[in-house]
Amino acid sequence: MLLPEQMVRVLVVGSKDLLERTVDLLYELECVHLIDFPADEEGFTLGSPLPAASDASQKLLRLRAMQKDLGIEEMKGIEPIRIDVLTRELDQMIESLHQEISDVVESKKKIELRLSELEQERKNIEPFVGLPLELDLYRGYKSLDVFTGYVKLDPEGVLRESIEKFELFMSKDGKFIALFVAKEESEEAQRILVQHGFSEVPVPLKSGKPDRILESIVAEEETLRKSIADLSEKLEKLREKHATFALAAEEHLNIIVQKAETPLRLGASVHSFIIEAWVPERNFEQLKKAFDENFGERIYIEVLERRERKGVDGHHEEEDEAPVKIENPKPFNLFEYLVELISTPKYNELDPTPLISIFFPIFFGLMVGDVGYGIPFVILGYLGLKKCTSNEWRTIATMLFFGGIFTIIFGLFMFGEAFGLHFASSSHGEITWSSLLGIEIPHHIELGALSIPLGLYSKLHDVKILLYISVWIGIIHLFVGYVLGFINVTIRHGLKHAVFEKLCWLLILIGAVMLGLALLDVLVLSKPLVMTDVRMVGGLVALVIGIILGFKGEGASVVLELPGLVSNIMSYSRLAAIGMSKAGMALAFNMIAIEMIAPGGGVMIAVAFAIFAVGHMMIFILAVISAGLHGIRLQYVEFFTKFYEGGGLKFNPLRIRRKYTMEV
Amino acid sequence: MAIEAGLIALGAGLAVGLAGLGAGLAEKDVGTAAVGAMAENEKLFGKGLVLMVIPETIIIFGLVMAILLWTKMV
Repeated sequence: MLLPEQMVRVLVVGSKDLLERTVDLLYELECVHLIDFPADEEGFTLGSPLPAASDASQKLLRLRAMQKDLGIEEMKGIEPIRIDVLTRELDQMIESLHQEISDVVESKKKIELRLSELEQERKNIEPFVGLPLELDLYRGYKSLDVFTGYVKLDPEGVLRESIEKFELFMSKDGKFIALFVAKEESEEAQRILVQHGFSEVPVPLKSGKPDRILESIVAEEETLRKSIADLSEKLEKLREKHATFALAAEEHLNIIVQKAETPLRLGASVHSFIIEAWVPERNFEQLKKAFDENFGERIYIEVLERRERKGVDGHHEEEDEAPVKIENPKPFNLFEYLVELISTPKYNELDPTPLISIFFPIFFGLMVGDVGYGIPFVILGYLGLKKCTSNEWRTIATMLFFGGIFTIIFGLFMFGEAFGLHFASSSHGEITWSSLLGIEIPHHIELGALSIPLGLYSKLHDVKILLYISVWIGIIHLFVGYVLGFINVTIRHGLKHAVFEKLCWLLILIGAVMLGLALLDVLVLSKPLVMTDVRMVGGLVALVIGIILGFKGEGASVVLELPGLVSNIMSYSRLAAIGMSKAGMALAFNMIAIEMIAPGGGVMIAVAFAIFAVGHMMIFILAVISAGLHGIRLQYVEFFTKFYEGGGLKFNPLRIRRKYTMEV
Repeated sequence: MAIEAGLIALGAGLAVGLAGLGAGLAEKDVGTAAVGAMAENEKLFGKGLVLMVIPETIIIFGLVMAILLWTKMV
């Protein structure tokens, strides 16, 4: 589970007449990660697409164009169509679909074109409606020049001063003008107009009254819009009728093209083909058997190498890297995307997914630790897992669901609170559910000999102990990280390297913790410093051995990284701190709502309830963001850096995913 | 006691506030660069996130100091 699957590199050679069936078989097996054939191999070229490709891609092209016309998009929950039915009817259906929609689409396009023309015409004519002239009167003069357009300032006064003969028409708002002026004075007139912010609008090449023309344009636009609506409705009906078929046919053709183009990734000579691929070792027998059954002796299969995990770093080029196939059992696999987000694990390193899926929900639960928020988390997460399909949302739903479960657990037993209010009555005189509801909720539930606590610690009053617990959790988390690192280095480079690289840090961690415990007694509990204390001696020994080992392995940088370890451990105090900040906010809202407003009675109770609801909604959202981000950060920054490299190539086998079609 | 308590509270406030400012300044730069990198290549989201939250430890230190001070006050 933790280590990616063992891979073997396989060579398949056969004659070209078997190529098509071989490709089909490879897709059926779903366990073959193809290696792209190097283009420069001597004596070989890249394969050429199977004959089916060109026909299918042509049809695909037509189909996609029609899909676009109809506006068909991905759909959920349609009954898949059987392939044999589809194959039989494909050509005919595409043809009839084409006939049905091409006319409609064509006329719709024409009308749309005409509409945009009309729009332009309307824009051109609109300003002239404000002037009392027919359009013919603007042109055809020998001795006159006509200026029409918008002005920013009224030019009339200036025109009167410097021009003898002119006639000016102006729209009511004074923004649009038509100026008739004698040719010999037109230059001067133009200069004046420009000074008044003139921008020309050409006179439309039509005749008649502008308002009449505008009316007829508007009327035509209206009829065209109506017919477009009709056509859209028709298309809508066509879409409903044909969507299922179109989607299925597209998928089917896509698969055909994908398969037919696979030979482009293979090597080929005149009469034979050659395939190199990675196959998980446990699937190899199945692969060989399938080939034997289908082709007998006519295809040659050989295992080229069984990829070892040791010493792979840097010895292989990128294209020669073994792909990484990880399979985590449910529910661990839900967390895989969180690791993927950083990068795929390497072929020779442990997959941290299962560990994240244990630690993350615990951290999340500790940070929120409130039944009132935990229950909505679980519900939201559950709904998300049911409804969402995208990786991102599914991961968020997973985090909410499992985080929510631990939130409830910690909220119920460790903190004993819901919506920031403790269940049992408190010695600090705060409001609790007990005092609010007027019933006595006990601190412990006695189940036979077992005493189950309902609230061990208060987030605000037991800060020290919670910080202490957080730091211990951090130490455990880091310890696990170093152990994983130790295993990783052992796998890659052998035990000796692992001792120098990682065991030293394990010893340093243990030493530091033991010393820390001894010193805590001295500093906090004011006990005398006893140098012969087991923790003191053991801690020092472990620390010194660790540093010496590290010094030999990595040099002086070990000493420089020591403070980093301390800061890593301290970093876990956020587990307590975030819980505390949530509790503080909740306390404030509860005080405002319950102690300050609600006693007013009547309407005030409703107001108090609203404040309570809004306040907790806010804390709830903040809880998702802060607890989620900090929970994942502790994994990525503190935990992963102890062992994780990443950067592997994801196993991506040839396979067909069908949504709208089904094989018989 | 009153003055002591006040000074402790002041110290705690300064610890959180100044550490917060420091963390904010550091994260501003890292965050800008991370978003830029992500715009180029979405796959860098995870790495960007990790780099971005590294300076955040500073504020946690401030918070821890503040809490320790505060527990002395109560």
